Amino acid sequence: MGTGLSGCSVQVRSRPDPTIGQDTMLINADKGNPLFNRVFNPFLVNTRTAAKWIYEPLILVNPLDGEQIPWLAQSWELPDARTIVLTVREAQWSDGEPFTADDVVFTLELLKQVPALDGKGVWQHLASVEADGDRVVCRLQTDDVPALPIIGVTYVVPRHRWAEVADPGTYRDENPVGTGPFVLGNYNPQQYSMDRNPRYWQADSVEIEHLVLPATDNQLDTVTRGYDWSYSFISDVQGTWGAASPHNRWWFPPGGIVALLPNHTVAPFDDVAVRRGLSLALDRGRIADVASEGYMQPAGQTGLVLPNQQDWLDPAIPDAGMVAQDTAAALESFAAAGYTQRDGRLVGPDGRQFAFALTSANGYTDWTRAAQEVAGQLGALGIEVSLQLPQPAGYQSAVANGQFQVALGGMGGGDVFRAFNDLMSSEFLTDVGTSTQANYERFSDPEVDALLAEFRSSTDPARQLAAARSLQRKVYEELPAIGLYYGGLWGLYNDEKFIGWPTAEDPYMAPQNYDSAPLGIFTRLKLAGGAA
Amino acid sequence: MLGRLGLFVLTLWAAVTVNFVLPRLMPGTPADAAVAKLAQNGPVSEATRAAIEAQLGVPDGNLLAQYGSYLRQVATLDFGVSYTFYPQTVSSMVSQALPYTLLLVGLVTVLAFVLGTLVGVLSAWKRGTWLDALPTLSGSFLSTFPYFWTALLLLFFLGFVLHWFPTTGAYSATTTPGFTLAFLGDALAHAALPAITILLTSLGGWILGMRNAMINTLGDDYVTFAEANGLRGRTVALRYAARNAILPNLTGFGLSLGGVVGGSVLVEQVFGYPGIGYLLFNAVIGQDYPLMQALFLMITVSVLVANFLVDVLYGLLDPRTRR
Repeated sequence: MGTGLSGCSVQVRSRPDPTIGQDTMLINADKGNPLFNRVFNPFLVNTRTAAKWIYEPLILVNPLDGEQIPWLAQSWELPDARTIVLTVREAQWSDGEPFTADDVVFTLELLKQVPALDGKGVWQHLASVEADGDRVVCRLQTDDVPALPIIGVTYVVPRHRWAEVADPGTYRDENPVGTGPFVLGNYNPQQYSMDRNPRYWQADSVEIEHLVLPATDNQLDTVTRGYDWSYSFISDVQGTWGAASPHNRWWFPPGGIVALLPNHTVAPFDDVAVRRGLSLALDRGRIADVASEGYMQPAGQTGLVLPNQQDWLDPAIPDAGMVAQDTAAALESFAAAGYTQRDGRLVGPDGRQFAFALTSANGYTDWTRAAQEVAGQLGALGIEVSLQLPQPAGYQSAVANGQFQVALGGMGGGDVFRAFNDLMSSEFLTDVGTSTQANYERFSDPEVDALLAEFRSSTDPARQLAAARSLQRKVYEELPAIGLYYGGLWGLYNDEKFIGWPTAEDPYMAPQNYDSAPLGIFTRLKLAGGAA
Repeated sequence: MLGRLGLFVLTLWAAVTVNFVLPRLMPGTPADAAVAKLAQNGPVSEATRAAIEAQLGVPDGNLLAQYGSYLRQVATLDFGVSYTFYPQTVSSMVSQALPYTLLLVGLVTVLAFVLGTLVGVLSAWKRGTWLDALPTLSGSFLSTFPYFWTALLLLFFLGFVLHWFPTTGAYSATTTPGFTLAFLGDALAHAALPAITILLTSLGGWILGMRNAMINTLGDDYVTFAEANGLRGRTVALRYAARNAILPNLTGFGLSLGGVVGGSVLVEQVFGYPGIGYLLFNAVIGQDYPLMQALFLMITVSVLVANFLVDVLYGLLDPRTRR
């Protein structure tokens, strides 16, 4: 759509609703299908986006780099690798009741009693939890330092209201009472509004009086309606979003890595020489350009998202892990696995052409473009790649069950430990045909498992860093997955009414308007016209 | 009559069963669909998946047990909880969407049929003149456009460029639904673009169908005889020719009336119109078995009922079908 628009003489401009005030933010964050259901239970899959701005986590985690920011917990300590002690801050629920450590214990116990609500798997890490004054003592099942952010992102709900809920698993929570910066204002199935919470514990930092969330979001709507904050991949952002208003800005930081996942249970992808050959054969810059219309950078082979996780990078890895296309080296590596070029085709020891199916999800257009580009580049070397594009559910099922040869998938981003653990831990290994939720490529290496265990049980940052660096070298040398390019976070915002948005120069928070990341942004934005 | 009823029940059972089997032939489970949706925003942990499965309570038991409970649901018209709109029930989602579709697609279908049939009669009667050429040409021109293409064109030019009509939703976000003049006007404005789309793309079919059938009938001996007897032109056209010529169009009308309940998936999606079509789209994307089953069943039953009604009407219009 976008390229079509910019090429044509009709220029769509945004037409903001004149009734929306200077202190009100119009935010394109919640997708109704196409109407809203009134569900604010923050633990349900289909909760309203704003439920996560009404309820707050103990620790606010920046999805960009995994930074842990004190939130409802003002501080924490790990006396040993299996104990976490959180100190809660002084705050109030929006109905005036005080927020206490009891609320935190109640919430965590609730997740234990109703596993359907425990979407982060808190009780796979926790053994018990108790309140001690303004402190919450969490005892873990094993040495498990990375459990901190998992427990920390739990949304805390008020005991005095939730204790009476008969069935929390289907509770819709139509009139939520939270600790967050906003309370629910007007609600109707096509639009709801939020009002500033005067009792908020950092009310002084919030200058936005109201949020307005309409149910619709098509891309034309994104451009024309005059949103203050939107989040969407958009073709030709300069010619569409950028042209719609002189105040429209955008920031697309990398959020994760789009990678080739070779199935290690399927020959010849169990052979590292084949995986290295594939990696060397690819021009990642071109793939990144084609897939993301030039918005995203090619990704290196460390499993880290750069520059977000720059601090973790092992300086001994050449070129920050970037692998350049080197056809000669690729052929050499394939030759080590028994594959040689004959009449322009790469043939194996049995004389048959090296051919495989690349699985991606139908409708993920950037992935599809990447897959086509990969197929083309490998085809030039004599490898025959056919594309398989099932519907997302079918893709998810095939990948989780190991029923693929090579798939496109995501890796990395957020918490460094979890990124490496999800990519390579053999705890996720299941038989082909049985579903797993991580390590889809079914990689297994006892040394990697030992490194992950070391990382997990260490409270010493220096030892964590050393483990992380060894894990990067494993990713670089063993190629459990082959990184292609960074997946983007598509932050679109307007600085006419509000300033102080996160940028590449000041990446204090991911520019996404879902989950709890916006809490970190709402409390930093200022009115452009000066204090209200 | 008994035989007909038996056939109806058999058809219904077959439809109900196909309805059960088809969604289950799709690869992946409802939980896979929910996970895939979340996975677009980052990796989804095992715990999240487990929680989703616990929330949705799927898929339970073997196929036979699922089929048993499904038949019970159909019999009691209780379709349980929707997966995509959890914890909303299927019946609440359907009753929310149905009025919009019935009013929009239903009224427009009737309007298009009546208008198209009348124009078809007129152009056949005046064949060879501009009264024939204009509707025939524009009708065949418009009906070749795909639904969604026309929808996008109208959306872009009438909505975004000229700002004549609202572009999305069924009513303004700031209006409270209710039987007030303000709301009805607002709802009408929002229905305008999808209505025009459906009207434009379906009108041509009715015009051409009616015109062609009319021309065939006009060549028949009894029409020539009526004309020779000196009956007035209008009487011949309407009472003699049109009454017979309308029969095939009527069958088509019955079928499209049945289809009204299914909504117009693409049009509703383009305009973000909260009807059954959009709901169906969401149900399929989300592998939402309960919602899909309820919707497909509604569509099947309404097509069957519409066919039955057309049968009855046929009997009234065409004495030859009476026995």
